Amino acid sequence: MLVELENIIKIYNQGQVNEVMALDRVNLTVAKGAMVCLKGPSGSGKSTLLSIIGCIYPPTSGRAVIAGTQLARLPDRFLTIHRRQTIGFIFQHFNILPKLSVLENIMLPLMPLGISPGKRRAMAEPLLERFGIDHRRNFPAGEISGGELQRVAIARALINAPPIIIADEPTAHLDSELSKEFLRSMRQLKGEGKTIIIASHDPLVTDDGGVDMIYAVRDGRVSQDVS
Amino acid sequence: MRPSTLYAILMLTLAIVAGAVTVHGRQRALLEMDSSAVRDSLTRALGLTDLCLATEARYTRHPALTDDLAPFMDYPAALEHFPTGLFWAPPR
Amino acid sequence: MREFSEKHLNILDYALSSLWRRKGKNLSVFLVFTFVIFLLASFQFLTRSLLDAAQATLRQTPEITIQYMVAGRQESIPVSYAAKIKDVFGVRKVTARVWGYKFNEVTGSNITVMALAHFPRLDQEVLAEGRFGAKGEKGWAVIGQGVLDDLGLGSRRSFSFFRPDLTLKPFTVSGVFGPESNILTYDLVITGIDDGRDLFGMEATLATDLLVEVVNPLEIATVARKISKALPGTRVVTRPQILKTYEAVFSWRSGFAAICLLSALAAFIILAWDKASGMSPEERREISILKILGWQTPDVLMIRFWESFALALVAFGCGTILAYVHIGYFQALLFRSVMMGWSVLRPGLSFVPVVSFGDLFLLFSLAVLPYLAATVIPAWRCASVATDSALRG
Repeated sequence: MLVELENIIKIYNQGQVNEVMALDRVNLTVAKGAMVCLKGPSGSGKSTLLSIIGCIYPPTSGRAVIAGTQLARLPDRFLTIHRRQTIGFIFQHFNILPKLSVLENIMLPLMPLGISPGKRRAMAEPLLERFGIDHRRNFPAGEISGGELQRVAIARALINAPPIIIADEPTAHLDSELSKEFLRSMRQLKGEGKTIIIASHDPLVTDDGGVDMIYAVRDGRVSQDVS
Repeated sequence: MRPSTLYAILMLTLAIVAGAVTVHGRQRALLEMDSSAVRDSLTRALGLTDLCLATEARYTRHPALTDDLAPFMDYPAALEHFPTGLFWAPPR
Repeated sequence: MREFSEKHLNILDYALSSLWRRKGKNLSVFLVFTFVIFLLASFQFLTRSLLDAAQATLRQTPEITIQYMVAGRQESIPVSYAAKIKDVFGVRKVTARVWGYKFNEVTGSNITVMALAHFPRLDQEVLAEGRFGAKGEKGWAVIGQGVLDDLGLGSRRSFSFFRPDLTLKPFTVSGVFGPESNILTYDLVITGIDDGRDLFGMEATLATDLLVEVVNPLEIATVARKISKALPGTRVVTRPQILKTYEAVFSWRSGFAAICLLSALAAFIILAWDKASGMSPEERREISILKILGWQTPDVLMIRFWESFALALVAFGCGTILAYVHIGYFQALLFRSVMMGWSVLRPGLSFVPVVSFGDLFLLFSLAVLPYLAATVIPAWRCASVATDSALRG
């Protein structure tokens, strides 16, 4: 298992007046090479669950093992390093920096690693070609189309060759054509051995043939969705 | 070219300009040293005590020799009114 | 080690690109900063150069000058005091001097007229043309370059001044000072002591002040004290005091310096306030994205540091170079009107700016360090940007 969550509890503002239990004894596993969908309304704890799986912060209690590393014991610095090596993020609004070029956006995760510009370009170029955005490499990201932005986001998530890809509501602002194109890319990555976790309530995603398991997230609890 | 390289070139250019201006200044200073002997002779011979910088008031023309009350001497409770009084601090 | 330096170069690259992306705003910050440094540096270079010029030029100034004071003002000193001063042990020579000012009503200029009894043989060294008057010669004058222009003499070599009784006292220009001594002689008219007394209507028993030469320059203070005791109604000014005067005159305590500093301070407060007034939503989003992509808080702080430091360093370089050129090649153009005020006779300020490492360090501390503090310290707020805020959209 690449993701193992056991009795995960996450409490924000613990001990204070505005204490909130975002996750309540969550148990979840994701096998290597699987594509999993997390379904749930806003405020259900989906983002918190993604943050824990994505090694952004550890749980308040419980056992969280991501790619063989237990999160609870990791100081913040090592958590960041583990996240860099393990997780590729695709955000809801893609979160591309519009004033940077396409190439610069893709190489962004590599900059704090002390990798020279030449090596960074060598790592980014295959991705530019693969996703057909090589001709846009020097364009400011704010000037490209929605479909191209989507591909830039995927390329950026893959630049560090992480084993796990997390996509948060990736089709929320896309038309059906682009949504299908996105799912095609995810199936392809799954075929290459990547583990894909998508948070979405879009039927296009939940009904996709590539999805191995759907988890329903509600009120901080997770259960398998059998509908 | 990476931005840090461009920046390094910019700083190097500034350093070269600064160096060139300083070297040129030093050359001028060396030329001026020839004049210092002339000024020494004059100072000694005429008993000069002040530089001729501001000639509007006697306490700015000869600050070394003027008494402290000179800026306010026109009448009781006079205020100092010459613009150069702003630039020159009162002598100690 | 290589990875460490490459990482920091990458961060610097990102910071410089970030500066370039907001070039409009950063250009205005750069211009203000450069101007502030230019102002401070110009003032520092000018005053340092003036002080150096004063110390170099006035090292041969009279060892002791005696003035006669009545009701806190200088009055003519009896020449007979010279005999009493001569009796003081350590005094080699006492010289009476008559000098004062003549106001030229036509041009509104003040001219300094100085009259001495004896002149050493200096003609070829110090004069651009002519000679000093011979012993016993009357009505001669050696004038400075500024006086030559102010009186509009052209090729003429005679002029007149009014005596106190409004009769005219004629002078013949026997010599003109060279331009290399303008800093001393620009507004000067030198004549014989009898002509000086005649011009100012001063009696032969009086002089403006007495110059004292001492046997041992190390004993100036001691001799000065003795003279003060012997002649209580006098003001005794020594050479060290004259040099100290110039240290004080060209100091940061002058009014002009205060104005420069206050302007600089005001500019800084505006800059710092702008920077410290918080991050824009765009900046918060950028930081959140960087953090989730694996940039750590120290890396993000380094971006802010390099943005500020890179800009400050270039502004510092440009400001100090411009200040040097301003003082050394444009004769402190921006300061001249304040420095010379209502002066009509204005000698050229052709100084070579004196720049010491201490001055540069002082400027750097006054200008760059506060700016870095004002910009980097608030950047700690970036630590408060939640890493997962990018996930929440």
